[in-house]
Amino acid sequence: MIQLKRISLTFFIYLSMLFWTVLYCSVAIWVYLVALFCPKRISGQIMRYVILYYGQTMIHIAIRPFIVAKYEDLAGGDTRAGIYIFNHRSASDPFLMSIFGISAIQLVNGWPMRLPFFGYFARSCEYIDATKIDYESAKAHITSLLKRGVSVMAFPEGTRSDGRVMNHFHSGIFKLAMDTGALIYPCAIVGNEYLPDRKFRFPQGGKIMVRRLKAIENDEIMQCPTAFVLKNKIKDIIQQETAKMDKLIDHENQI
Amino acid sequence: MTREKIIELVNSIFIEQFELSQEELTPDKKIFEDLGLDSLDIVDLITGLQRKFKIPLRQNEQIRQIRTLDDIYTLFEKLALENPDIAEKIIN
Repeated sequence: MIQLKRISLTFFIYLSMLFWTVLYCSVAIWVYLVALFCPKRISGQIMRYVILYYGQTMIHIAIRPFIVAKYEDLAGGDTRAGIYIFNHRSASDPFLMSIFGISAIQLVNGWPMRLPFFGYFARSCEYIDATKIDYESAKAHITSLLKRGVSVMAFPEGTRSDGRVMNHFHSGIFKLAMDTGALIYPCAIVGNEYLPDRKFRFPQGGKIMVRRLKAIENDEIMQCPTAFVLKNKIKDIIQQETAKMDKLIDHENQI
Repeated sequence: MTREKIIELVNSIFIEQFELSQEELTPDKKIFEDLGLDSLDIVDLITGLQRKFKIPLRQNEQIRQIRTLDDIYTLFEKLALENPDIAEKIIN
């Protein structure tokens, strides 16, 4: 019975996502056609908003009957572009990026850029493939994006942890933050460790919480002697926050 | 140069540059898995080792083989034997 319930839930969530994807694409195709005739930077910006609203459609409409995503901004509404650093528990994390409602790109680990449908849009809106780009090009690209007010979102664990533990962070994005003079927003996501699970099934519905924490200013970043120290500092901040949020979400789920 | 001195100098890099505590720095610790360094951090580590020991390491093939802290200590013991003036350079 429980198994049947899980299969049904997974089926309905994906069915809802498919339905809303088709509906969204039937509208977005017109925006996409306009973007094709615009200069590259403008079309990139248009495509970023197309992806942003797609993510919001998925979170706030498609999965809403089954999963509720709640966002809290502890950065006081700071509108400056920066580097957003997240913990990474689940495949749903990239969708949750849209909850911030800002123009942003993601630093991804190769394979999302090669996906048949989504990969095309990721490339169009200047996502960065960490496995292909060299350090100097990444630095120049991120500097240019930040100057244009576009934030960069990254999951320095590189791969999903599938639980409440955090893997080691990779240093690349932190070295880039030090070299580009960017500020860093540590961000915490909890509640989605099994939404979906490793096999992309939804064993239950539930609540997801996302928090953006106060920005780490560049002068504070530059006090770190190496990217290693910076990454561990940011990891500690996120880890402390996720521990608090896990307790809160467990308490709310019990009620 | 004694092994104890080499351990002290190598560990000082991990403490100063990576802000790791002395307690974490046991010879069996794996640099990637246990201490959490990655390939980019290794560049910083090599820079620090070069500066501390005043030996060029960029072209050193053996530095690419290090996996544990003990591997670093052993490598520098060997380098110290090959370059007897290391100790003098460090003191000066």
